[in-house]
Amino acid sequence: MFLRLVADSFGRRPRHKLLTGAALALGMGVATAALSVSLDVGDRLAKEFRSLGANLLVTPQSDSLPLEIGGVDYRPVNAGVYLPEADLPKLKTIFWHNNIMGFSPILEVPIEAWSPAPKSWITPAVRGKASLIGTWAQHNVEIPDGTTYLTGVVKTNPWWDVKGQWFGEDSRQCVVGVNLLKRIEAKLGDDLNVSSGDHAKWVTLKVVGVLSSGGSEDESVLAPLSVAQELAGRPGQYRKLYVSALTKPEDAFAKRDPQSFTPAEYDRWFCTPYISSIAFQIQQELLGTDVRVIRRVADGEGQILIRVRMLLWLVAGAALLAAALAVGASSAASVIERRTEIGLMKALGAGSGTVGFLLAAEQLVLAFVGGGAGYALGILLARLLGERIFGSAPEPSLIVFFVIITLAAGVTILGSALPLRRASRYEPAPILRGE
Amino acid sequence: MPGTRATNKAMFWRIIRRLLGANRGRLFVMLLALGAGAAVTAALLNLQVDAKRRLTSEFRAFGPNVIITPRAANSPNNPATLEESILQEIPVSSEMGRVESVGLLYSVANVTVDRLHAPLPDGQRTRTPAVLVGYSSKTFRDLLPAKTVEVSQLLGSNTRVCFVGVNAAHQLKVRAGDTLQLGGGNDCFVQEIANFGGVEDNQIFVDLPTAQKVTQFPGAISLAEVRVSGTPRQIEETIASLQQRLLGAEVRPIRQFTEGEAKIYNRISGLLTATIGIVLLLTALCVMAAMTNVAMERKMDVGLMKAIGGSIRRVLRLFLAEAALLGLAGGMIGAAAGIFLSIGLGKAVFGVAARPRLIVYPVAVALTIMVAILSAYPLRRLASIRPASVFRGET
Repeated sequence: MFLRLVADSFGRRPRHKLLTGAALALGMGVATAALSVSLDVGDRLAKEFRSLGANLLVTPQSDSLPLEIGGVDYRPVNAGVYLPEADLPKLKTIFWHNNIMGFSPILEVPIEAWSPAPKSWITPAVRGKASLIGTWAQHNVEIPDGTTYLTGVVKTNPWWDVKGQWFGEDSRQCVVGVNLLKRIEAKLGDDLNVSSGDHAKWVTLKVVGVLSSGGSEDESVLAPLSVAQELAGRPGQYRKLYVSALTKPEDAFAKRDPQSFTPAEYDRWFCTPYISSIAFQIQQELLGTDVRVIRRVADGEGQILIRVRMLLWLVAGAALLAAALAVGASSAASVIERRTEIGLMKALGAGSGTVGFLLAAEQLVLAFVGGGAGYALGILLARLLGERIFGSAPEPSLIVFFVIITLAAGVTILGSALPLRRASRYEPAPILRGE
Repeated sequence: MPGTRATNKAMFWRIIRRLLGANRGRLFVMLLALGAGAAVTAALLNLQVDAKRRLTSEFRAFGPNVIITPRAANSPNNPATLEESILQEIPVSSEMGRVESVGLLYSVANVTVDRLHAPLPDGQRTRTPAVLVGYSSKTFRDLLPAKTVEVSQLLGSNTRVCFVGVNAAHQLKVRAGDTLQLGGGNDCFVQEIANFGGVEDNQIFVDLPTAQKVTQFPGAISLAEVRVSGTPRQIEETIASLQQRLLGAEVRPIRQFTEGEAKIYNRISGLLTATIGIVLLLTALCVMAAMTNVAMERKMDVGLMKAIGGSIRRVLRLFLAEAALLGLAGGMIGAAAGIFLSIGLGKAVFGVAARPRLIVYPVAVALTIMVAILSAYPLRRLASIRPASVFRGET
């Protein structure tokens, strides 16, 4: 009988139920879309922040003090310590290896560069002192587990703009900074003679690209790491390593000193991709190094990510609130309008409890159907948003589904509870008389 | 007949008053739904305008994004410099955001350390070459984010302080509280050791006059670093106007930050606009569905009015006027609540209350009225109902 009454109520007033359901579905759709986007946004934006480049800098631990002004190191070549290139694949074996988005080793050599193209005796070749940056442009690293991983400055310095193309790995090609190219009066496609600062060695490189970086690299020559190693007489070595890693913004916990952690806290810290824990793991893997967080990049990122996430949570919260109020109002209205019906049921001997139970059951059916439809609608919208803005859709989350269904049920019940309580106090007779 | 018209008008408003007052529960429910919608609309619109502007100032955490350098080429023996006075030519604020600048003078100095604890005998003190940087203003420390490793209170009468990058401190074996001899009889008190995670870690920072004395470049700086806040376009415009002002120098963006910021700004503002757009649209639809549901319950009223001779146009006009009034009231209450809500939200996210924008208020109210009228519109369908069947209770 109970089920029949409920079914009958739906069959008799399909338009009303449809409208209440629609309000519910739309409201829950807002909530789902806002929740999905704010749940997902942290990881997406973290990826966007990698367009700022590397956030970790690896240097030899016992290096002498670099005398670097405007990107040029004024130390003598033979001073300082170097690191072995052969260790680099280990970077992709750390616990958070999937969060390493790219790395590029750097070996800088002070050089003199000139263009050997035939000049008349009136205008001799222009020699320019500069520094040669040996690095990887796009390098396939063989990882111990048998796969290869493509990395290089293309990944770590995405704002570097190269006209022409990058040099090939292990080739005699180079990319020249735009200012240096002007200074030594060379052009794209020329050959360029490069000698190490002490003129002990020299090589001829073909200019295949022009770099504009907006930084000190505009004054230098970029060449494969092997060329720099040959010029410096340091085979298989590099001096600096830039690492770009996806991280979780540092919270109060991450800012504490790892030395003060209890074992449980240490595990938690180690297993969270905080920038400090990734730096620690790299340092453990690459012996004799000092891994430093590039504060400029990392701090700003953390701060902005936290703000944006909070902003979106609040937008989601406001959306939830509005949806809840509107849906609550809608279900309240549907109870208010049925006072006559309630009066009739009570006149026929139904207790307040039975009436309330019946109406609650109706509202719950609506909540589940409307909430489910709203969830589907919201997921669709979130997908659309994700694809438009980040190029890929967020994963539908089961937590959001449960939150939405619970919310839908709670809001409808709460919305109808108030008018129901008032209705239960009415005497049936005046209601039926229409007073 | 003006008399009849006046009576008609009076009657019209009287019916409206009755329609509104007839069922307090229903009135409350409708105002609640409309008010909630208006509150969210006003709050989000207000926040959206404000949040984007605040975001650009958050980018300040990335440090300087524009660099001003001499046009001439640099060499270690004869470094090109700029006049210190150009710092005065940099405006303090552009149209939208602040412009913060600092002049820096780079040089290599031979440094010796006077330790506070366990000083070394004179014979063992070695002179180590290190990069000495003079900075023109205290804002430099706020401009470039760093983590303080060690800090010491100023002791004695030595008022010339410096801070040392963590790597330089490690190499020189210097701690906060020590004194550095910079050469030429100039010394400074090490107040802080900081970790920047960049080349700054290898440098020693001292105030500009001292650096100028050590390097014997009076009134000179090597370059100026500038932080320009604003949207990507505003930054570009500021750079162009700076370049026009400073003809003797080269003004260029630090592309790593200007381009990265532009990308991130566009993503975030797109995300915010889209999310808010969707939330507003769905909220409007949701409110509309709830309101329509209430309006449909008015079948009896419509039937009665038709039965006593009301034309459908007049009946409809009555209900639309009622909806518009409700929309106005709900919108005004809701929008006011929404503006307070956005002030609170702004405070929660950015620590600064969002500035209420008055334009948001009428927009939110107008949107609410529109939604209310639109949701009463399905009553038009009631034109076809027959009064008698309504009263008989048929559906």
